[in-house]
Amino acid sequence: MACTHDHSCEDHDCSSSWSLYKHIDLSKVTALNEANPGSVKSVFKAWEERLNSTGEHLESNEGDPELLVYIPFTSDVKIKSISIVGGADGTSPSKLRVFINRDGIDFSDAQSMQPVQEWDLVENLHGMLEYQTRYSKFQSVANITLHFPESFGSDTTQIHYIGFKGEATQLKRDVVATIVYEITPNPSDHKTRAETGGGLSHVE
Amino acid sequence: MVLEATMICIDNSEWMRNGDYAPSRFQAQADAVNLICGAKTQSNPENTVGVLTMAGKGVRVLVTPTSDLGKILACMHGLEIGGEMNLAAGIQVAQLALKHRQNKKQQQRIIVFAGSPVMHDKKALEMIGKKLKKNSVALDIVNFGEDDEGKTEKLEALLAAVNNNDTSHIVHVPAGPTALSDVLISTPIFTGDGEGGSGFAASAAAAAAGGVSGFEFGVDPNLDPELALALRVSMEEERARQEAAAKQAAEEASKEEKGGEEQDATMTERASEGASEADNKKIEIADDDDTSLQQALAMSMDEPTSSQGLQDTEMSDAAAEDPELALALQLSVQDSTKDSSSQADVSKLLADQSFVSSILASLPGVDPNDPSVKEVLASMQNQSEPQQKQDEDKAPKKEEEK
Repeated sequence: MACTHDHSCEDHDCSSSWSLYKHIDLSKVTALNEANPGSVKSVFKAWEERLNSTGEHLESNEGDPELLVYIPFTSDVKIKSISIVGGADGTSPSKLRVFINRDGIDFSDAQSMQPVQEWDLVENLHGMLEYQTRYSKFQSVANITLHFPESFGSDTTQIHYIGFKGEATQLKRDVVATIVYEITPNPSDHKTRAETGGGLSHVE
Repeated sequence: MVLEATMICIDNSEWMRNGDYAPSRFQAQADAVNLICGAKTQSNPENTVGVLTMAGKGVRVLVTPTSDLGKILACMHGLEIGGEMNLAAGIQVAQLALKHRQNKKQQQRIIVFAGSPVMHDKKALEMIGKKLKKNSVALDIVNFGEDDEGKTEKLEALLAAVNNNDTSHIVHVPAGPTALSDVLISTPIFTGDGEGGSGFAASAAAAAAGGVSGFEFGVDPNLDPELALALRVSMEEERARQEAAAKQAAEEASKEEKGGEEQDATMTERASEGASEADNKKIEIADDDDTSLQQALAMSMDEPTSSQGLQDTEMSDAAAEDPELALALQLSVQDSTKDSSSQADVSKLLADQSFVSSILASLPGVDPNDPSVKEVLASMQNQSEPQQKQDEDKAPKKEEEK
């Protein structure tokens, strides 16, 4: 489900709507089967710089075009659409399968699991195409895993830019961080409002 | 301090009965495994280690990745030797065990002890290696024991397929007098990719070099980590205290030296003044002042702290007026010399011409342009020059404080 913009993208509008890259927790972004460890972080940038390929880009290992990118966000986001800019000469990815809110997926998991949504991509060297999501399924995304199983015929897959359009909520779907387990309850830790209000019964 | 989950693959095939590694190949291997487990858990408390055997009836996981060292050591007991090693299956099972680790943030690593001949062909091993690399699993290979044709080549090919940025290593250990564990201690398998190995590895290496089981401070960090830590901390404190004491002693020694030299200066000055005294009446008057000046200077010598720099002037004034008071002050000041800080280097004060002349100007009846006073200053200058050369940086400090 690709759609093209019906207006020129020099507008201010476009860049501000592709702003979810600011909510990505870059330090925790990882990729499997990348040729240069850490190069995955370079594909998350502002809309204006999506064609700026002077920096690094993400490339898979020689002879194996499969790529798996794990992206955690700093808060829950709603994703409306995704844009991918690949490389030239058949190195663009041809398929995209995404998984939501799953940690630690590796290739065998990705190949066997049913993705939340998958797209057939086209070669999108100018980043004008965006792939819309089934919005109802992408309502509270804490992390997203992108699986690119194949390329357009080349031995490797190159990705220059990954963009997300949507909105960020300020919520965090996080693990419960502070829990206190008690072996024996201490009444003074459990003063209720009635007791502290100076009622007749007082727990010290 | 890399957060890592490690699976160790042990070779317990028939070839391990051989005694070319003391006491037997299997025992040497077990010792090496124990050491590695200790090193991993010490370098990062959240590291986990698991163990599986590759031979026997089939590949069997003895303990899944855990940070409990006791569990790991316990499962090494009562292992039986037999069968043939299945390297490919062993590595694949290890990879599966790592995949299901509890903490997904840990890096994955497999350590393989390859003691018996390798049955698989190079292609198959390379495929396995590629799969490990794709899933970013690092692999360390310990090549020991049997050395038949092609084994080394196959293992090297496997390493080349897995290696991603030098995170994987291979070590060839030939049979010989040195134990397997000792050889491994100095390798990156132990020290972990050159991050500067854990203290455990370092101390174990020192022990191996010394040839005695003497760990740092004679306490095995493994057996009693708290004691080892306490000993290390008290050693540091002792060292720091000794340094401070030595510094203190050095300062006091140098100060006493200067004090002695200053006294000599005052003596010679007095002698020279006595000589010129007869010539000039003016000098007579100046002489009394000079005496009190000497007293004042001697006093300011005993004055330790720089914060009292201004007070030096005041005390000198008081001293000039009242010799008894000067004496009393001197005594009281001498008591406080012990507490002197390193800042108070009074010879610097005196070396500073402007400061001295300002003191002199404030003294009643002393004319800084007086030749005898100038003589005193000159001799003071000469005395304090050697010290001045030593601590030139103190002089600008004095400047600021004024």
